[in-house]
Amino acid sequence: MQSLLSKYWGIKRESLRYNWDKARRMKVCYLFLLPYAVLFITFVILPIATSIYYSFTYYNILEAPRFIGFQNYINLILQDEVFLTAVKNTFVIAVITGPIGYILSFLFAWFINELPRWLRTIAVIVFYSPSIASGAFAVFLIIFRGDAYGFLNSLLLQFGLIDAPLLWLLDPRYILPVVIIVSLWMSMGSGFLSFVAGLQGVDRSMYEAGYVDGIRNRWQELYFITLPSMKPMLLFGAVMSITSAFNVSDVPRALAGYPSTDYAARTIVTHLFDYGFSRFEMGYASAIATVLFLIMILCNKVIQSALRKVGT
Amino acid sequence: MSTKKKPITKIEQPKTQSRAAQLHYLAQLRGEVEEEKPKLNKKKFLIISLIVLLVLAAGLVFCNIQLNNIENINLNPADYIAEKGDKALESLNSTASLYMLGRVVVIAGMVIYGFFAFITLLQPKRRKPNRSFWGDLGIYTLLFIIAVMMAFPLVFNVAASLKPLDELFRFPPKVFPDHPTLDNFSDLIVTMGQSWVPFSRYLINTVFITLVGTLGHVIIASMAAFVLAKYDFPGGKTFFGVVVTALMFTGYVTGIPNYVIMSKMGIIDTYLAIILPAFAAPIGLFLMKQFMEGLPNALIEAAHLDGAGEMRIFWSIVMPNVKPAWLTIIIFSVQSLWNANGATVIYTESKKTLVYALQQIQAGGIARTGQAAAVAVVVMFVPISIFALSQSRILETMASSGLKD
Repeated sequence: MQSLLSKYWGIKRESLRYNWDKARRMKVCYLFLLPYAVLFITFVILPIATSIYYSFTYYNILEAPRFIGFQNYINLILQDEVFLTAVKNTFVIAVITGPIGYILSFLFAWFINELPRWLRTIAVIVFYSPSIASGAFAVFLIIFRGDAYGFLNSLLLQFGLIDAPLLWLLDPRYILPVVIIVSLWMSMGSGFLSFVAGLQGVDRSMYEAGYVDGIRNRWQELYFITLPSMKPMLLFGAVMSITSAFNVSDVPRALAGYPSTDYAARTIVTHLFDYGFSRFEMGYASAIATVLFLIMILCNKVIQSALRKVGT
Repeated sequence: MSTKKKPITKIEQPKTQSRAAQLHYLAQLRGEVEEEKPKLNKKKFLIISLIVLLVLAAGLVFCNIQLNNIENINLNPADYIAEKGDKALESLNSTASLYMLGRVVVIAGMVIYGFFAFITLLQPKRRKPNRSFWGDLGIYTLLFIIAVMMAFPLVFNVAASLKPLDELFRFPPKVFPDHPTLDNFSDLIVTMGQSWVPFSRYLINTVFITLVGTLGHVIIASMAAFVLAKYDFPGGKTFFGVVVTALMFTGYVTGIPNYVIMSKMGIIDTYLAIILPAFAAPIGLFLMKQFMEGLPNALIEAAHLDGAGEMRIFWSIVMPNVKPAWLTIIIFSVQSLWNANGATVIYTESKKTLVYALQQIQAGGIARTGQAAAVAVVVMFVPISIFALSQSRILETMASSGLKD
């Protein structure tokens, strides 16, 4: 036992020394990495770490943080009903927009793949524009406006489907569906681009081979050839769609108001915003952020392991 | 691709096409058999389609003129009756329904013919053998409908920004304005001109932040991506793993501690508070590294043998070869910086960004509906046009964006 342990430490030390020597020889690499690493650590890693630390304290910016253990988390789950609403809303939004947006962006990328080049260009611009034109979703304020001049209301009134204008953005029953529709509209983001590019790069000889081997229609071709060769892009797209699905906050804040009626459009991120930047309860807000981290990392792990099985 | 695949051979041979047809197709692909001439002469087809559509359109115009005439007569039937009698009016009115039917038929014909012509033109010269026509038809129809739905809000927005006030609030509403005007845009300039800080100041702020932030991001992220992609040094893989995880975190989640850190650094209320975090955006490093991995190692080794240092290799060999990737991370960076609101870290009015100022106008409520639409057009114009101009290069980069496990 003793010898085994010392042998282990020997190997460990040996590899450490090897790595150290290597690191010294490759000093210049670290110099190249340095500017990015410093900024990345300052503005990404350090905030996450401090956020986790603050989540165990009471901190209001004016006084020094005071350690209170798990009190924030306990309050979050046991006392804060609005937080539970926020979690519920976030999950409803994420479960609908995440997978649907992901599948739609793949399907559309796949559909437009066989179009002539000029038409494909137009299609890519049409599908991708909503996600880069952030701020353009303000147009939904006109479309979903609550009076009879709102586009949707007047259309419905004209066809006689409703007899009084509906308050799309103020009635708790309609807010969440509206937010989901707008988020779906914006969901063809960088994942979609990655799919379009990846599909162009699939080896053509694979399709020919598949044709000889008896691939009968486009769906078989998709499952047996296209999807397996797209796996890296599928993983990237998944990360991107999880990110956007869980971080929905601009759309509900702009459309439904902040706070929204009856907290119907409250998401985890808007809740965090409320406590962090309106009430300055930084400790509590950090606890919310930490919960969101955990949820996102967990989702990511589950989805990545599921995607590895595709087409094999 | 170490994962084992289900044997595809299990699937039956296609029944619709004989083995000979398959072999013929493959021979065509290899270039052994002379390619069949495409059955469709596109130019001829296009001309014929145009003529057909023109004839149909002429029919439509004719029907409309006739209907208009009949309507005019019906408005004041006394003269007509005096001239030709009761019977003539009755028969005239029965022909009206005929014209009405004709109009519907002509419109339906135009839609159906135009659609089929469109689908036919879309067919690639060499159709893949395992594609059914009806499948294509269904998919392209669906694609067309969805594309219209996706484009509608943006088009609606542009149309709304061109509407005069009375058309913005009309019932029933129309998508396109009857009397397009640029009033909303000139009102926007007037409103901004009255504000305490001149409009140009906001614009300069945003342009400055976008330019500096993007430039720094491209250089810093490329330097890091270069060593991460091309050198194997201790800690490099771990660092990249952390960056990939960080792709998931948006600015909001780390906003609070970020604020605290920035205030400790003393950069709150300066441009640096927006620019410095933008330098460290994970997506730029990620895309750059994936793209640089595609560069042949031999290129770098050859430069090493010729005695070039790392800095030299980076500037004169690697960077010129990854231009498509520059464009991509430029668009991502410009998009996020151009839209940066910065209200949480910048308090001095004269340092605020364009988007912040414009959002204040949008917040003006119903009275500013037209101006708000104009604002949205101004804000979305820059990122969309940059993307449209550089999209082929961007797609080249995105082809290497995959996450390898």
